[in-house]
Amino acid sequence: MKKFIINIVIAFAALSFTSCEGFLDTEPTDQVSSATAMLTLTDATNAINGLYSDMKWYDYYGAYIPVLGELRADDLQTKDSGGGWVAVYTMDYSSEQSSYFELWNKCYEVIMRANTILENWEKIPTSTTNDITTKNDIKGQALATRALVYFDLARCYGYPFANDNGASLGAVIITKTVSATEARKPRSTVAQTYNQVFTDLEEALPLLSKSKNTGHMNYWSARLLQARAYLYTEQWGLALTAAQDVITNSPYTLASRANYVNYWSQEGGVETILELLVRRTSHLDDDGGYNSWYYPLWHGSEINSTGRIIPTQSLIAILKNQTADIRSLMIRDGSTSIISDHKDWLGKFPGTGYVDAKMNNPIIMRLSEAYLIAAEAALHTSPTTAAGFINTLRQNRILNYTNVSTITLNDILTERRKELVGEGHRFFDLMRTKNSVTRSGGFHWCTGEAVTITPTSFKVCLPMSHSQRLIYPELQQNPGYTE
Amino acid sequence: MIKGTKTATVADANGSYSLDKVPSNAVLVFSSIGYQTVEIPVEGKVVINAVLSQQAVGLDEVMVVAYGNVKKGSYSGSATMVKGDAIKDIPVVTFEQAITGAVAGVSIAQTSGQPGGMPEIRVRGFSSFNAGNDPLYVIDGIPATSGDLSSANIWSSTMNYLNPSDIETITILKDAAAASLYGSRAANGVILITTKKGNTGKIVSTFKASAGVSYFAYNNYPLASDSEAEMLHREAWTNYANANPSSWASYGSVSSYVNAKVEQYYPSKKEGYEYVDWEDVLFRNAVSQNYEFNISGGGPQSKVYASVGYNDQQGVNVMEKLTRISTTFNAEAQASKHVKVGGSFQFTSTNQKGNQDGAAKDNPYYLWKVYLTSRWPYKDAEGNYWMESYNGSYRNPVPNFDKQIAYSKQGRTMLKGFAEADILPGLKAKTILSYDYTRIDDRFGWMMGHPNGTAYGNGYIGDRYRRVEKLVSSSTLSYDKTFADKHHVAFMGGWEAEDDSQQYTNLSKSDFANYGMQSTYLAATLKEGGTYNDQSTLLSVISNLNYDYDNRYFLTGTFRRDGSSRLSPEKRWGNFWSISGSWKITNEKFMKDIEWADNIRLRASYGTSGTLPSSLYGYMSLFSYDIYGEGNAAYPSNLANYDLTWEKNLNWNVAIEYDFLQRFGIVAEYYQRTTKDLLLDASVPTTTGFQTALRNVGSMQNKGVELSLHANIIKNRDINWDFNIHWSKYTNEILEMSEKGESIVSRPHIWTAGYSYYQYYTRKYLGVDPENGSPLYAKGTLLEDGSYDMTPVNRKQASSMILEGMTAIPKGFGGFSSNFSYKNLSVSMSWSYKYGHYVWDNALDDIDSDGYSYRNNIGADQLNRWTVAGDDTNVPMRIADNAYGGYYDSSRFLKKGDYLRLKNLTISYDLTKVLKEKANARIYIAGANLLTFSGLNFDPEVRDSGYYNFSMPAMRTFTIGVELTLK
Repeated sequence: MKKFIINIVIAFAALSFTSCEGFLDTEPTDQVSSATAMLTLTDATNAINGLYSDMKWYDYYGAYIPVLGELRADDLQTKDSGGGWVAVYTMDYSSEQSSYFELWNKCYEVIMRANTILENWEKIPTSTTNDITTKNDIKGQALATRALVYFDLARCYGYPFANDNGASLGAVIITKTVSATEARKPRSTVAQTYNQVFTDLEEALPLLSKSKNTGHMNYWSARLLQARAYLYTEQWGLALTAAQDVITNSPYTLASRANYVNYWSQEGGVETILELLVRRTSHLDDDGGYNSWYYPLWHGSEINSTGRIIPTQSLIAILKNQTADIRSLMIRDGSTSIISDHKDWLGKFPGTGYVDAKMNNPIIMRLSEAYLIAAEAALHTSPTTAAGFINTLRQNRILNYTNVSTITLNDILTERRKELVGEGHRFFDLMRTKNSVTRSGGFHWCTGEAVTITPTSFKVCLPMSHSQRLIYPELQQNPGYTE
Repeated sequence: MIKGTKTATVADANGSYSLDKVPSNAVLVFSSIGYQTVEIPVEGKVVINAVLSQQAVGLDEVMVVAYGNVKKGSYSGSATMVKGDAIKDIPVVTFEQAITGAVAGVSIAQTSGQPGGMPEIRVRGFSSFNAGNDPLYVIDGIPATSGDLSSANIWSSTMNYLNPSDIETITILKDAAAASLYGSRAANGVILITTKKGNTGKIVSTFKASAGVSYFAYNNYPLASDSEAEMLHREAWTNYANANPSSWASYGSVSSYVNAKVEQYYPSKKEGYEYVDWEDVLFRNAVSQNYEFNISGGGPQSKVYASVGYNDQQGVNVMEKLTRISTTFNAEAQASKHVKVGGSFQFTSTNQKGNQDGAAKDNPYYLWKVYLTSRWPYKDAEGNYWMESYNGSYRNPVPNFDKQIAYSKQGRTMLKGFAEADILPGLKAKTILSYDYTRIDDRFGWMMGHPNGTAYGNGYIGDRYRRVEKLVSSSTLSYDKTFADKHHVAFMGGWEAEDDSQQYTNLSKSDFANYGMQSTYLAATLKEGGTYNDQSTLLSVISNLNYDYDNRYFLTGTFRRDGSSRLSPEKRWGNFWSISGSWKITNEKFMKDIEWADNIRLRASYGTSGTLPSSLYGYMSLFSYDIYGEGNAAYPSNLANYDLTWEKNLNWNVAIEYDFLQRFGIVAEYYQRTTKDLLLDASVPTTTGFQTALRNVGSMQNKGVELSLHANIIKNRDINWDFNIHWSKYTNEILEMSEKGESIVSRPHIWTAGYSYYQYYTRKYLGVDPENGSPLYAKGTLLEDGSYDMTPVNRKQASSMILEGMTAIPKGFGGFSSNFSYKNLSVSMSWSYKYGHYVWDNALDDIDSDGYSYRNNIGADQLNRWTVAGDDTNVPMRIADNAYGGYYDSSRFLKKGDYLRLKNLTISYDLTKVLKEKANARIYIAGANLLTFSGLNFDPEVRDSGYYNFSMPAMRTFTIGVELTLK
């Protein structure tokens, strides 16, 4: 009898496990199932923050954009072969060195996050008119951010629009979340990429809030982006209108001459239209600290070092000794440094709140740029008004400034150098205005094809990654690079 | 023993025994390990003597296998057993290091020479891309937490807790028949460990002590001498100046330019400063000590084993150390006539310290070989450590060793309890409950004052706490009966549940107020902190049926059904089964009088096993969280896959065993294992917004051969000499990727159909142009006929290509060992070898950079560089800041990895005669990694992937020890 009971018990135990299915259901504690992650307005706000927190990484605005914009041009350079971002300075990148493809990957990660928000946007419930405004603003931010990303993809991976009206290959246009198979689309042209930018911006503008929104897109950043994109695609009239809208109607004002130096340490400064919020003291990669753009600019102490990226002789010549111009203070004197090469360094970015010079908020768009865009656009449509914009800008930069009545394209390009140095514009400005870059003499040490770059050099745009193409052959390579 | 009862006694050393109350019609059974059992009916006699003859080579040996024990001669699966006694003197921390080269088909490599470093074990190659290739560890019948759980930048194996002296046997299960019973975790083989349980009979206590010294086992990366290096630097700068006249224009002449440059980057020694051979200040002879005490005994109804051990190992660098205290207590007893109970308790506390491994700032080995040149001052003229830097990043590490923190403290407790009951004759029930608790505290950082710490603030400490628990419950019913004297049937069935959970907490802070502070309470700035929990569960049904006829034909079938929490509810159940059989040919009537064979056995098996995804929630679609400004940021963190399923392994195995002349044995095996539904973090187009997605893609196949020979050359009363050798070979081929023609590049390998998992993919180096000393590479583009364009071009024009025939998989590997004993002296040694594979020397771009790195040390190989037109060499011309030097991938990094190594040698002398009968005593000297023969310029024991990048190399150890056994 005893044995019989034992048998029953064992058999029962063996059967009972089938009712323990719950035993096999486990959930992670540090992540949330997506079914519950995008249900409310708060969730959507968090998801929007997810776009900006991604863009501040070193492989996007944390470093790559300013690196690609500055180190291939004639304002800033890598000091020597031990400096920062040497391969960009020497134009020594290839399809098999996939590190410069990280920018492409990051862009599509931001696009995916924006698409996820847009797909889940409809069903978010709202109960007040405030909610509806917030909800619309969220959609606007997602679209405007996506537009910014496509704009960057076009100018980094495609040839300048001005070369051939955008006929070269640009980005892959993805406007919804896709599976691995659906993602294997061929590239569209640069012109089509810009079309996507304009489509997204036009849809976004009526939805976006017109108030300041530190660390986020708003109507004004979208409008300035639109002005910039019109400029790159040579649509001068539209560029002028958009830039003027920002100049006249936005709540931003130019930093004054007195305030200029301090402006760069401020979060939410008077003329900042779009910046990305970075923690002030983190030194870990999550805030782009270590590898960010600001690290190799960092000079250490004023006495004992210079940056690994330094102003070129060419920039020093146009700016350093212009004592009336407040921007001359951006170049700091290196002659008393104990480092034997006594190089000057760029002191423009002192760290948010002056806490740590390596930790700055990347400022993507600010009001000064609107004036510069307006001036350049006006040159083509109403030349007599062009000088006015430059004058206003210079009034806020130069002591005892006397207005000028005419202005040339070269003047505007030079003004852009003085104003926007370090912000990632120079290389793109030269390429889109059909100019070449020459880096020789002074402190330059690059050789070969890196010395003179014309807008048709094949290295003006970055290559597609060789290893990515092995699994995604539909992704066409840019000409001149190995497959 | 009286047959059919539990009444037994043990004979003494002279063979005398006595048994009381023996019924006159009883049968006495005489048995001893290594000897054939004899049964003698009592028939009223008062004195019964028995003579036992030695067994044929281990066929009746009992071998621990999946869920039970079998006789080796009746087992149809492929499994190899190693006795704990065979490895007891080898001076190692974990048992895996002691069995390198001992088992056919099993390859073991050290990942690091630091004490406690984790070994990499591969049983019959590897079957998975991503889900793990480690075998399952089962300790005393229960799967145990295994793997690398540390996170303090030092390798630390969870098996470090197990004192090798507590091991009775290790069985490695290699084929489906052997491993299938472990189902979803068994695809990479199973390592069964049985700890000592005690013995019925007198109490035996053993005390063992040993001490030893270790240092690098090999001359790693010989460097150019001080004067040679200066000459090579000068040459590099001269060549640069000659090629770039504008560079030296402002200096007036080439030689002044060269002098200036060499003085800047490889400066002459300063007056009064102290320069050292860096090896002397960075490394030392590492001392190790080991003390153990165990006591083993029992009576006719019970067995007890208890042990305590203390192991202290220094590493060659002052930062490295491992200290372990381990205790074990195993006991079992007959609680009543039909019920046996038992339990075990093990507790180990391990304290491990080390430094970062690989090409890392804190690895003294890396600094020694690459950065610390002979021109780098050690101390200045005042006797202070010289702390400046020649290259902006690295500094004299010696004064900062005490400020570098990398330690891992593990506490592991294993509790087991079991009960076994005889329900009916032949029918037994057994239930086991086991709790495995591991606690790991890691700390990594730099104290204030350490130059690396300033990059993070004033000092940085990161603490991580992990608690890993595993609860297993297993209940089985087994039935064993022989019918009609010839038919023997055994059945086992049952169920098992496992619950693994983990809690992980981390906290890191920076900005300490003062030197010497480590406690994060004293740091001002919070870097990050958080806690999360993980859980994974498994539910299974297991069953096993054995049938054998007349001790000639054996047939076994196993079935297991597993349900795992790691897969979606629709996909989580899987079935695993195997079928195997063997034929003992020599037991056939027609073989009865054959003299040229003692045993011929044929066995074959076929079955399935699986591998679970290593990600616990990989199939779910999840959002992760981050911070942005003052708020939260949310984002999708993976591309979900609800169809995620097991990797499925199909194995078949055939083998023939042949023993002859009572001395020789040969085993030859052939196996094939195919894996389908490989789990892979497959690269996906990044236009999805992700770089990888976890999917089941593709299939892979391993085919292999194992040959073993055992010879007992001399076997008499005074002398015993045996020799064993085994050789294995396997080929690995990826049959299918997820899409036709797809390739995934995982530097330096490529994964593509038709090639192996470790196929190298890089630019092909063609040597040096004798005219001008430039390195040449094959163009590497694919031509129309499918072959590669081999035109020599420079590096920038060369593409990577699949290097046919160059893989990290050996053409053969294995080991051989020999044991020799003469009266009281015994000598045993074992060697391991591997050949036909290529290893990737990632040090090339630092040390043999052809002038690109003009501040670093220079490898001795650079002395062979091209100097004048007509030179025929493989090393290019040296040019400073060489545009074609430095970091670039090519087959120049690939080197033949063939090696032969004397893994261990033990000489021991038995002093028993000296101490008469009260005690046995033995003294021994033992060594590990004593001799190495290889063509490489670095330690050849490299991990399976072939990739080597400055991990701390293997150590050569000498120990002397004494063992005292009291009875």
